[in-house]
Amino acid sequence: MALLEIKNLSLKIGAFQALKRVDLAIDPGEIRALVGESGSGKSMTALSIMKLLPSGAKAEGQIRFNGKDILAASEADMCQLRGDDIGMVFQEPMTALNPVKTIGEQVAEGIRQHTRASRAVAEEQTCAILDRVGLPTSKFPLRRYPHELSGGQRQRVVIAIACALKPKLLIADEPTTALDVVLQAQILELLQSLVDEQKMGLLLISHDLAVVADTAHSITILRHGEVMDNGETTQILTEQTHPYTRQLAQASMHVPDRTSHQHVRSQGSLLSARNLERSYRGSRSGLFARSEDTKAVDDVSFDLQQGQSMALVGRSGCGKSTLARMILALDRPTAGEIKFGNQRIDHLKEDALRPVRQNMQVVFQDPYGSFNPRHKADRLVAEPLYLLDRPLSSSEKRDRIDAALERVGIPRKDRDKYPHEFSGGQRQRLAIARAIITEPKLIVADEPVSALDVSIRAQILDLFADLNGRLGIAYLFITHDLAVARAITDTVMIMSNGKIVERGNTGEVLRNPQSDAGRALVQASPDLHKALARRIGEQG
Amino acid sequence: MNTSTIWRENIAKALSNRSFAIGLIITGLLALIAALSFVWTPYAVGTFDIVGKLKPPSAAHWLGTDHFGRDILSMIMVGSRNSIAVAFVSVVIGAGVGIPLGLWAAARAGVIDEVLMRFNDLIFAFPALLSAVMITAVFGPGAVNAIIAIGIFNIPVFARVARGAALSLWPREYILAARASGKGAARITVEHILPNMANLLVVQATMQFSLGILAEAGLSYVGLGSQPPMPSWGRMLFEAQTMISIAPHMALFPGLAIVTTVLGLNLLGDGLRDVLDPKLWRER
Amino acid sequence: MLSYASKRVLIGFLTLLAASVVVFAVLEVVPGDPARLMLGMNATEDAVRTLQEQMGLNQPLITRYLSWLGGLLSGDLGRSYTYSVPVIDLITERVAVSLPLALISLALSTLIAIPVGLFSAARRGSLSDTATMGVAQVGVAIPNFWFALLLVYVFAVTLRLVPAGGFPGWHAGLWPGLKSLILPSIALALPQAAILARITRSALLDVLGEDYIRTARAKGLSRRKVLYRHALRNALIPVLTILGLQFAFLLAGTIIIENVFYLPGLGRLVFQAITQRDLIVVEGVVMVLVATVILVNLLVDLSYAVVDPRLRSRA
Repeated sequence: MALLEIKNLSLKIGAFQALKRVDLAIDPGEIRALVGESGSGKSMTALSIMKLLPSGAKAEGQIRFNGKDILAASEADMCQLRGDDIGMVFQEPMTALNPVKTIGEQVAEGIRQHTRASRAVAEEQTCAILDRVGLPTSKFPLRRYPHELSGGQRQRVVIAIACALKPKLLIADEPTTALDVVLQAQILELLQSLVDEQKMGLLLISHDLAVVADTAHSITILRHGEVMDNGETTQILTEQTHPYTRQLAQASMHVPDRTSHQHVRSQGSLLSARNLERSYRGSRSGLFARSEDTKAVDDVSFDLQQGQSMALVGRSGCGKSTLARMILALDRPTAGEIKFGNQRIDHLKEDALRPVRQNMQVVFQDPYGSFNPRHKADRLVAEPLYLLDRPLSSSEKRDRIDAALERVGIPRKDRDKYPHEFSGGQRQRLAIARAIITEPKLIVADEPVSALDVSIRAQILDLFADLNGRLGIAYLFITHDLAVARAITDTVMIMSNGKIVERGNTGEVLRNPQSDAGRALVQASPDLHKALARRIGEQG
Repeated sequence: MNTSTIWRENIAKALSNRSFAIGLIITGLLALIAALSFVWTPYAVGTFDIVGKLKPPSAAHWLGTDHFGRDILSMIMVGSRNSIAVAFVSVVIGAGVGIPLGLWAAARAGVIDEVLMRFNDLIFAFPALLSAVMITAVFGPGAVNAIIAIGIFNIPVFARVARGAALSLWPREYILAARASGKGAARITVEHILPNMANLLVVQATMQFSLGILAEAGLSYVGLGSQPPMPSWGRMLFEAQTMISIAPHMALFPGLAIVTTVLGLNLLGDGLRDVLDPKLWRER
Repeated sequence: MLSYASKRVLIGFLTLLAASVVVFAVLEVVPGDPARLMLGMNATEDAVRTLQEQMGLNQPLITRYLSWLGGLLSGDLGRSYTYSVPVIDLITERVAVSLPLALISLALSTLIAIPVGLFSAARRGSLSDTATMGVAQVGVAIPNFWFALLLVYVFAVTLRLVPAGGFPGWHAGLWPGLKSLILPSIALALPQAAILARITRSALLDVLGEDYIRTARAKGLSRRKVLYRHALRNALIPVLTILGLQFAFLLAGTIIIENVFYLPGLGRLVFQAITQRDLIVVEGVVMVLVATVILVNLLVDLSYAVVDPRLRSRA
């Protein structure tokens, strides 16, 4: 008998139909991936199993866990199950732990809740499970507070809380989405080994097929609250019988066609950095004492040619965003110089920067945060026109806005809409329209697709590739996602601890990285091609 | 969707909020009564009628008369002008000085920010009553003292709200995009920061207005606010105190006037907070 | 921890210093000639000159400030012109009424507000929550001195349960003293409790929306346990902030309430001093009250660090 069996589960939140007749089953020891884009109902499925749904949610159908009817269970029964037989791990490790309680207290709390163990026994068990998830008490004493740990370490604590009592079922809701690829690989490996060891079932929720391709035994694909495809991982990925599965897989592996545009690229240096450094003063550790300065960017030099597309990859916190902000003259280096064309820009005053800014624009990660919610699309897109030497007439302005919108594929009639009326993908198109309206020579893009669903991501990458080809705009792409780097850049720089540790042709470097940091990134990166090859190989 | 339909929708949404609707009605009525008192009151507030003094509520005097035989309803009506004027001007002082200071501190950060925060600490050490005590000790009593004292105390309140909201907005990506478009701190503050925190400021202004009414009443009660013959709610209560055993209605009605006004403003503020972009408020 | 604490103490000290400059400037510099102001228009030149000398007004400003400050530090607040006694003696005598009144009210309002806030937050959206918060909403709008009048009318005038005013002095015994503080403290505490209960509830509801609450629920804790073990302590941070601010209002409220109940506290002292233009007494009382507000805010700042471990490791 299956450990968890969901049959015909429908869920309504107010008038919104979040789930429609979902079927799903997990056996003991099985890793079942639940994959879908945002809004597909993945998290709602998980919360239905835990019975932690938002108020106003109504579930129908059947959820049987270990023979028990969950939907009919009382709140007191559920309190017995949660944390004991069913554990749950959440997406955002930075906020998932109570900031005013020590990690020891938070892990022990669940243990004492269910086993009525004495303080000392609970503490012993806490030490054991923290040790198991990679936080040995010798290095991470129980009295540490969450803010003293990094994101990856906090996620380990959350896993320890969920697994402390050896649950029969573990639910992990996008447990690695907020982490960089190296941490992602580590956490997935930890979950996998815990499953093997404790013979529990794991429901692994993700928005990306590539992430679960290596880990999951079986996959359920969800879209708009309905199950699209369901089966054993190898079969799902190799056969791709369902069109939506194929669409997701292709989007995940998508590489824009850039060959036709190669001739546009001209030679000549556009941007160069020499011995760039940005250090931050150490925090005050006493009335007169200061801890040592930290160097976010340390002795970085590079050149970017006109029309060239370059990737800057590295783990989170490696200094890549700081570097980007210095290039954009939003932050000043503490040493070294930056040249744009032939002009040194790192010490220029805001007025003198205007011609430079015209030629250098930016696209950010968050399609929701990059627009003033109170301005309409046309005003938002027109903002950089402020940089032009002479003010445009209103008809000229209109023409340029229309041209920019057309280039990114936003219909002209949408110019009067507010940002919240656009979807995430459309918003990223608007951000690109804003970046190209002054016809710049360089666009710095900071993780421009990492907040988007895979299918939208593919479209936006196509758009970037197209603009690079047609307008000859050079890119500096900042990303932790090697698939993006591979898809859209000619050259790559790998950054680690503030330094550039490796650089070269994107394909070559990512195929055969020489630096430790490069190897770690490449090994950890989810890659559907490789996963498929491995699955097929296993099949024989 | 065009702008006017958005407006209409917002107004409909606002009126369906119970707090907002009730608050708006009370505040509107109060404003009407204050306006009406300029042209008409049941009796002139300056006329004494010793024979008809300390009369409980009746058909002739709805809310009764005081120890000089003055009509309490008329005095409450005229007194509302005083309360509104003092509270309003104090909010204008607080907002007019505090908001620019807060915005400036957030835009410049570093030393200026630190200096402003310490300045805030300093003013917070002087509750309005203490400032009023000092001012009155030197210049003698008057309504202006109350305005200055409450106004000064409002400055750090607005500065804090403006600074906090601005600090949470500055790291947003749309501000970075505006900086990448060559816009300076002043222009960004006007175009992006201020409009996105206007909600908070409106709500805060409503709250400070109601606190101002309470503070003014307290100051006139102890004789640090407006002086006779101008009627004020606080002083009416002071005069009622010695009569409490024989004419409790003298204490009841001015107090109810204060409670109703403050309640109306607080409901309006609460309603506004829910109606206007509740998300930003939480992020503060 | 130490660095945070030492920074707050330093800031508190500097604020106090700046406040002393403000008080000195308003009461001794702005009036031009404080001696003439105190004696009034009809005073003889001789009397003015004597007082000027007594106050040291013929010395340069900076010397006057420094000697005044030196006096403050050694507990010498000058001599009252009208009472002819050291101001510090007047103040200590009056603080014995005002301070217990403020502290009892603070304790009372906290003891009422936090349970009420918890009660309401735990039953969010229920009839009892709506009713409680409705009462609190009205409570916030009630001026404490008016509430005091109503209490006097009901409990002293009509029911004759407690004295309507006056203070027998602590030498008459603890209970008679406390008895005369009952109504004043209730009048002060209830409106404050209404504010605090609303803040507590909304802080709790904010915290209940946090991710770590879901983590705690996923551990198998009941709603109630989550509220007490996880939400309350996190919600204390905004509650403490308001508590600190409220103390300033409470102190101001004490001064006003003393007038309703004819209590011989700092409030009565300062109003008498204003009527008699005794600037030296006003200066002393204001300085003591300002120092108290600053001290309380410092204590609030320090208690943040007890509640929130993140502050302990940050400067």
